[in-house]
Amino acid sequence: MRHYVLRRVIATAPVVLIVALFVFSLLYLAPGDPAAIIAGDQATAADLERIRHTLGFDRPFLVRFGDWLWQIAQGDFGTSIFTNMPVMKMIGQRVEPTLSLMAITMIIAVAVAVPTGVVAAVNANSVLDRAIMTCGVLGFSIPIFVVGYLLAYLFALRLNWLPVQGYTPLSEGVGPWLANLLLPSLALGSANIALIARTTRSAMLEVLNQDYIRTARAKGIGQMRILFLHALKNAAIPILTVVGISVALLIGGAVVTETVFAIPGIGRLTVDAVLRRDYPVIQAVVFLFSVVYVLVNLTIDLLYTLVDPRVRY
Amino acid sequence: MTALRHPAIAIGGGLVLGMVAIALLAPWLGTIDPTQIAPAARTRAPSAEHWFGTDMLGRDLYSRVLYGTRVSLVVGFTVALLTSAIGTAIGLTSGALPRLDDIIMRVMDGIMSVPPILLAIALMTLTRGSIGNVIIAITFAEAPRMSRIVRGVVLVLREQSYVDAAITAGSPTPVILWRHVLPNALAPIIVQASYVSASAMIVEAILSFLGAGTPTSTPSWGNIMAEGRSLWQVKPFIVFFPAVFLSLAVFAVNLLGDGLRDALDPRVAKKA
Repeated sequence: MRHYVLRRVIATAPVVLIVALFVFSLLYLAPGDPAAIIAGDQATAADLERIRHTLGFDRPFLVRFGDWLWQIAQGDFGTSIFTNMPVMKMIGQRVEPTLSLMAITMIIAVAVAVPTGVVAAVNANSVLDRAIMTCGVLGFSIPIFVVGYLLAYLFALRLNWLPVQGYTPLSEGVGPWLANLLLPSLALGSANIALIARTTRSAMLEVLNQDYIRTARAKGIGQMRILFLHALKNAAIPILTVVGISVALLIGGAVVTETVFAIPGIGRLTVDAVLRRDYPVIQAVVFLFSVVYVLVNLTIDLLYTLVDPRVRY
Repeated sequence: MTALRHPAIAIGGGLVLGMVAIALLAPWLGTIDPTQIAPAARTRAPSAEHWFGTDMLGRDLYSRVLYGTRVSLVVGFTVALLTSAIGTAIGLTSGALPRLDDIIMRVMDGIMSVPPILLAIALMTLTRGSIGNVIIAITFAEAPRMSRIVRGVVLVLREQSYVDAAITAGSPTPVILWRHVLPNALAPIIVQASYVSASAMIVEAILSFLGAGTPTSTPSWGNIMAEGRSLWQVKPFIVFFPAVFLSLAVFAVNLLGDGLRDALDPRVAKKA
């Protein structure tokens, strides 16, 4: 067991390295001359030269990549072209809202999607199942910002149940914090709910047809116990996998959700940076989020062994 | 016949055809110039004269939304086509050349670790906002997944006896790939391509909504929503109509994809 964990953790290092190389190469892969784009139309030759130097275009690719790796290993992501602040500091100030948003979203998504998927599987091919699955395609099709505006219009503007926009730090109380995050989380989670419910349904369908479920029924075990203890546990691996994958949706969606609901998080920082063409910030955000994504999926890989003792690599 | 047995294809396909018709016929559907400003008629609510109302520059939203269909469809279709071509080329190469396979797939894993929207945002920060660059940025984010799917098909087919027979008969590798492997990979490619085009339409709208996509001179659903963003609490109709069209278009393409998946190959459902 400990061996397996260690092997998996070590195997993640090259993936992170490739991610780093790729994120770094984006500067070279983008069509056109990025330095000129970042400098803007009014830039002088000196401005352009300074940006070229900041981006490292005046040095060979590998030397520059090595330097960058060494810097980020020490937690230094350079300074913002726009504010001249260390990028790491700018991101640090914005972490709380984004982490809160993503955590609440994931909790809501799993809490809604898994039971829904189970209900759909138990009533497979019934009207209820069809309705749930159609809602699934809808949830996956309606873009986050559309869901966001819809929810905000209904529950905040019309019904006045929840705040329209903004963010309240956790330090000012769990109630206001949660009230501000509820609508954004539902909007952000809509696609995840659809995806996880769909996977839960198909995983449960497969498990429910197996002999040991029939045995459990024959022994007179209650339906709830069979579904949530016996069946769900064995359907857990595909569900966990899709939860891991859906974190990518969550990260991309956070950028949009924070814009719609005016949440001062990393997503909002990203959008501001895009508009100012503040590439060091973008580069850091893309790299850090990608590493988070890789680490989440590593954790999920490790969870497999807890859920299913048969998993041994 | 297939369409009848798979209502998803009929409904999804019908909606997609409807969208294509709107895009092609936009100039003849009672629209006016979508960029024509009329300061006197700003932010008018929907009426007989302006079916979807007007925006803060007095531009007719009905015309803008209808013309916006063009951007979404062009982006969706082009990205699907490019992604299929590039993903297939990489997937076939990777599947056929085991020595390159490891390197190629590690690189693809690396790219896939970057959430697609962030990848597109990063690329758009570095280039001028144009539909062409939006298409390149989204294709970049989508191609690795396609290459993985194609590679998976190649790996399965490689074990088939008829491919063995072709190898024994001395067919060169490119001929085997073209004649024996590609036709069998077509179904999963088409299914994936439909999902790619749906997600491309969403990403284009998101990029434009954030101000890093289609230039504001071209009406696109994302642009219209971006312009309506600051006013949405008082004039929600500006955001509403492009949102409905975008959702409907994505829903149609996803439905079509689901239908195609079930119709073309029931086994693909599990693998994808």
